[in-house]
Amino acid sequence: MQNQFLIAPVYVLLFSLIFFQNANALDYKAYGFIQPEITSFFNGDGRHNQSNKNFSAFAKGTFVTYLNNNNTKITVNSIGRIDDNDNNRTYIDFQKLKYELFFNDITFRIGNELIFWGVNESFNIVDIINQSNLAEDISGTKKLGQPMVSLSYFNDYGSFDFYLMPYFIERVFPGTKGRPRLAFEVDKNNVIFESSAKKNKVDVAIRYSTVVDDFDIGISHFYGNNRSPNLTFNNKSFKLSQYYPILSQTSLDLQSTKGAWLYKLEALLAENGDEKHFSIAGGTEYTIYGVKETSSDLGIVIEYTFDDRNDFAFNDEGVIALRWTQNDINSTSILAGLLSDLGGNSNRFFAEFEQRLNDDVKLFIDTSISGNIDQNDFTYAFKEDSQITVKIAKYF
Amino acid sequence: MRYIKLILLALIFFPFSLQADTAEGVGLKIAKASYENGRGFIDMVSDQLMILIDPKGKEVIREVSSKTLENLDPDDGDKSITFFKTPKDVEGTVMLSHTHISDDDDQWLYLPALGRVKRISSSNKSGAFMGSEVAFEDFSGTDYRKYNWRYLGEKIENDETFFILESFPNYKNSGYSKRISLTDSLDRTRKVDFYDRKGELLKILYLEDYELYKDKIWMANTMRVENVQNKNMTIFKWLNRELDTGIDKKDFEKSSLMRLAD
Repeated sequence: MQNQFLIAPVYVLLFSLIFFQNANALDYKAYGFIQPEITSFFNGDGRHNQSNKNFSAFAKGTFVTYLNNNNTKITVNSIGRIDDNDNNRTYIDFQKLKYELFFNDITFRIGNELIFWGVNESFNIVDIINQSNLAEDISGTKKLGQPMVSLSYFNDYGSFDFYLMPYFIERVFPGTKGRPRLAFEVDKNNVIFESSAKKNKVDVAIRYSTVVDDFDIGISHFYGNNRSPNLTFNNKSFKLSQYYPILSQTSLDLQSTKGAWLYKLEALLAENGDEKHFSIAGGTEYTIYGVKETSSDLGIVIEYTFDDRNDFAFNDEGVIALRWTQNDINSTSILAGLLSDLGGNSNRFFAEFEQRLNDDVKLFIDTSISGNIDQNDFTYAFKEDSQITVKIAKYF
Repeated sequence: MRYIKLILLALIFFPFSLQADTAEGVGLKIAKASYENGRGFIDMVSDQLMILIDPKGKEVIREVSSKTLENLDPDDGDKSITFFKTPKDVEGTVMLSHTHISDDDDQWLYLPALGRVKRISSSNKSGAFMGSEVAFEDFSGTDYRKYNWRYLGEKIENDETFFILESFPNYKNSGYSKRISLTDSLDRTRKVDFYDRKGELLKILYLEDYELYKDKIWMANTMRVENVQNKNMTIFKWLNRELDTGIDKKDFEKSSLMRLAD
């Protein structure tokens, strides 16, 4: 985290130069929200003696301006949180802090960027550019901005994206008081890289994406520090040490949209340090629009993932979920489902409810409940962490 | 005598059979003229304001802005980009849509929280746009070729003469069994009655504040929808509408969504 603050002054300087140059009649938009949250855990204190309650506040701000006849764009998109219990969960991150130049069919970008690859709802296996913040969300879907220089070129055949990433952002793990957290603390001071350049290794990625009728296709290659470290137990510190191998990964993501049916597939071949692996994830989503002549929609999502590494946490998992959308004035919706380890015998129920309370206030209620959890499953560390979280977002 | 009877019968039935033949033809002709009335805009940029009014009179306002690219290929539909502004929780969301006349539309959504572009299903024809009384198909289904038409006659209302047209959607998943519309002498559609799948009157659309652009294109700047079943009302207004602004057609491709995203 501190390292990100170190490079922040460079950005501030760059952006102030741009602003002073174009100080006259700056046309911009700025918006955001602040979201207090309270979490209550059902099983008393945690397995690692954490609190059974947590108070937290999340905030996000977006600022966008176009300059030089809309040929230049500046985007600032920052997120941050203050957490009552977990210091690792108190942070500020610039998910986007970028300067973009648009030419006819070329976009040039410099700065922090948030890039998503993939099509799945649950198992986003090919998404690799941005680092995950596991303190924010243990499932890894919450990302941190990645510093980069990138170029996109598009023509009638599709879009070609090139990324150069000169600086590596380490994964953020929950701290000792974080809940849920891993069985042992992840040691921030014991980080080893396969690459001799360590964090300064220039990661590279290339992607080709296109649309052919009902198909959205993406083919990507990434070479650089793996975003996911290997964690090994250190007998002396009683903490988990992090080892970031060099990853060379080629991936495919594919979606076919046939009326109310969506078919999704992600697959990858990877060389990760000295091991090789193959992983595949996909599924289907079907939506019934206007259930029983009402305005409500009901969708069903089924996804499965396989990885040929036996010791990998997500090597044989499935998810089934129902999404109900009322399409009312308050955008009421519920997503509920079951995540299951098909190879083992562990499962977890989750549900997310959301509803707008008025024009600029929205209520979210999330819950996750452990079902049967195998003692040898990695999620056994979170077995006692069944919880309900209430969030209220106020938008500006 | 017998022959005279037959001739009389033929004379009685002939006009009917002629009318049955031409009711579709005349209907199609008026519908086509009305549609073409709004064509030739090349591209269009506008802000849209939507006022949702519940039966108690409580109002909620929704704002979007959009860009539309006219498809010069007469056999394919227009492309459009919608930028969501309010309610504030959807600000930054962008929708790209490629409409087609005989096929399902292609739609993509940019979701700012995830920095992700998602291809979404466009089968949701009858769904409500942002909780309003306007359905997705009311926007995407403006092409006359999406319906089978019948001319029902003329009607005089407030000293104005209107053509009455009946139309039946010929695409899948429509929420309507039929529509009855009134078209004025300038070929502008002024009012549409929508009947639900059961054949009951569902809602009435009034097209108002017509403005003549570029001396040849008629566009309504207000759309008022009264749902007669749930008593909700939606007023949809186009503000700052500009035509033929010279937008790059490449902006309307999926690969450009990231350029437009916040």
